[in-house]
Amino acid sequence: MIIDAHGLRKSFTARGRRGAPQTVEAVRGVDLAVETGEIFGVLGPNGAGKTTTIRMLATLIAPDAGTATVAGFDLLKEPGRVRGRLGYVSQAGGVEDTTTPRAQITMAARIHGLADAARATAEVLDRFELSEVADRPARTLSGGQKRRVAIALGLVHNPPLIFLDEPTTGLDPQNRANLWDSVRRLREGGTSVLLSTHYLDEADALCDRLAIVDHGVIVAQGTPAELKREVSGDVVTLRVSDPGQAAETLKPYARETRVDDEVLRVYVDDGERALPAMLRDLEEHGLGLTSISLDRSTLDDVFLARTGRSLRDTGAAA
Amino acid sequence: MIRHTLLFLGYELRNTFRNPIWPLFGIVQPVVYLLLFGPLVAGSSGRSTADALTAFAPGMLVITALFGAIGVGYGMIYELRGGVLERIAVSPAWRPSIVLGRTLRDAVVLVAQSVAVVLIALAMGMRASLPGLVLTVLLVAVTGLFASGVGYGLALSLRDENGMAQTMQFFALPVMLLSGALLPMTLAPGWMQKVALFNPMYHPVVAGRALFAGHLGDPSVPLAFGIMLALSALTVTWSVRSLRAIAG
Repeated sequence: MIIDAHGLRKSFTARGRRGAPQTVEAVRGVDLAVETGEIFGVLGPNGAGKTTTIRMLATLIAPDAGTATVAGFDLLKEPGRVRGRLGYVSQAGGVEDTTTPRAQITMAARIHGLADAARATAEVLDRFELSEVADRPARTLSGGQKRRVAIALGLVHNPPLIFLDEPTTGLDPQNRANLWDSVRRLREGGTSVLLSTHYLDEADALCDRLAIVDHGVIVAQGTPAELKREVSGDVVTLRVSDPGQAAETLKPYARETRVDDEVLRVYVDDGERALPAMLRDLEEHGLGLTSISLDRSTLDDVFLARTGRSLRDTGAAA
Repeated sequence: MIRHTLLFLGYELRNTFRNPIWPLFGIVQPVVYLLLFGPLVAGSSGRSTADALTAFAPGMLVITALFGAIGVGYGMIYELRGGVLERIAVSPAWRPSIVLGRTLRDAVVLVAQSVAVVLIALAMGMRASLPGLVLTVLLVAVTGLFASGVGYGLALSLRDENGMAQTMQFFALPVMLLSGALLPMTLAPGWMQKVALFNPMYHPVVAGRALFAGHLGDPSVPLAFGIMLALSALTVTWSVRSLRAIAG
């Protein structure tokens, strides 16, 4: 296990303009177990405590409670050793606009005490297809290139473990897909990855295992397939004149039904088979149907089942 | 530990001198003062321009240090926002070296700026003692350590450009006026002279004047060096501590 964390907690005291200081419990008891060589995702809406958890594991903030072993060393007793074996790429990226990628990466390599900093830099630049832009000031780079520089900065010393905090936020679909490929190649090279994201498709497509967090606690943990299986295989989404009545009618088919405004979601084990019968029943009860769709259940359905809210409604995009 | 400090110093110096727009910008204000205020002081006091410049230039060096501190503070907030400090903090770098390397860079830049200001003043006709000049530049370097310690300490404690701007604006003008850099404190009423004694920037200005005039043994010189060394130790420690508070 490359990360083994137990009961991590962190609260912040925010000083208001007036009145008593407010305490925000950002992380309220998180256990994480990340296996060596896997891509582990932390999925949750903004403010769920993802970044705080990663910052604690990266030695940047001290947890109020809890213990953790990261990359073979005790987080609290030997933070210096942990730092040496860690790559950390924050949401902001930490790329200096005025300096060239090569200068920044070479400096990072020297700080890590690499014998041949220039060679390690050239290698990592090559690996992320940055050689051509390596000697331009970073401010002239595109968003996707800058993001790759940020990751190269965290990887130049070949750490066994890398943290990526919201690595694809703000990237266009093309760059996101490229970045996903880069992350998969990291895994092939034996690097363990801990990444946070609020994108459902990213967590689903990229992560071997993931933890879904909300309000500072883990609400579900497992492989994407396991998590989705827990909810149910398929989800039938209907727009009907009377969703409440329709939910009652369709109950025999469903493992679970959920009404949000005019939308009725019916979770069924075998959607293809259930659908014709469901349509027949609706017609017999004279319930007017505006639209109907059948989908495999997504991680959003898992989030919905565990928290009663949709991740889409919390402001995070799908 | 020293290796990391030197690494950061070298890296930051290379960055600064690759694009020296900010150090150049930093001497614009003192040079404009020299060009416009110098003759004004000379005219009002009835002295020759050369004598007036000898009395006026040391204050300009201290002002360069003061404005330099404001600049480096903003630079630190930018690095904080861009995640640069956070990234460096998750590395085996010796924590104090992150701030120490930058503080030493500021002192080196300030020495270069001071030499430029002195050369411009000499070109304008200033006469000054050479050992006095050298000692003053050294004193200004120590003053720069103090000032950039304040700049980094404030930046890392406030972590916000607006708070930084307000704090700096509130203090910059009174500190500048009460240092006697523009108008000597000997023109001030007694109470103001007493207040000036508690302004750290007052002492290097007084010592700089004595040194430029060739009074190398003036008691104000060891006093200024002592005060500035003590204060820079204090403020640099403060900025190192502030960094630890934000980055483990």
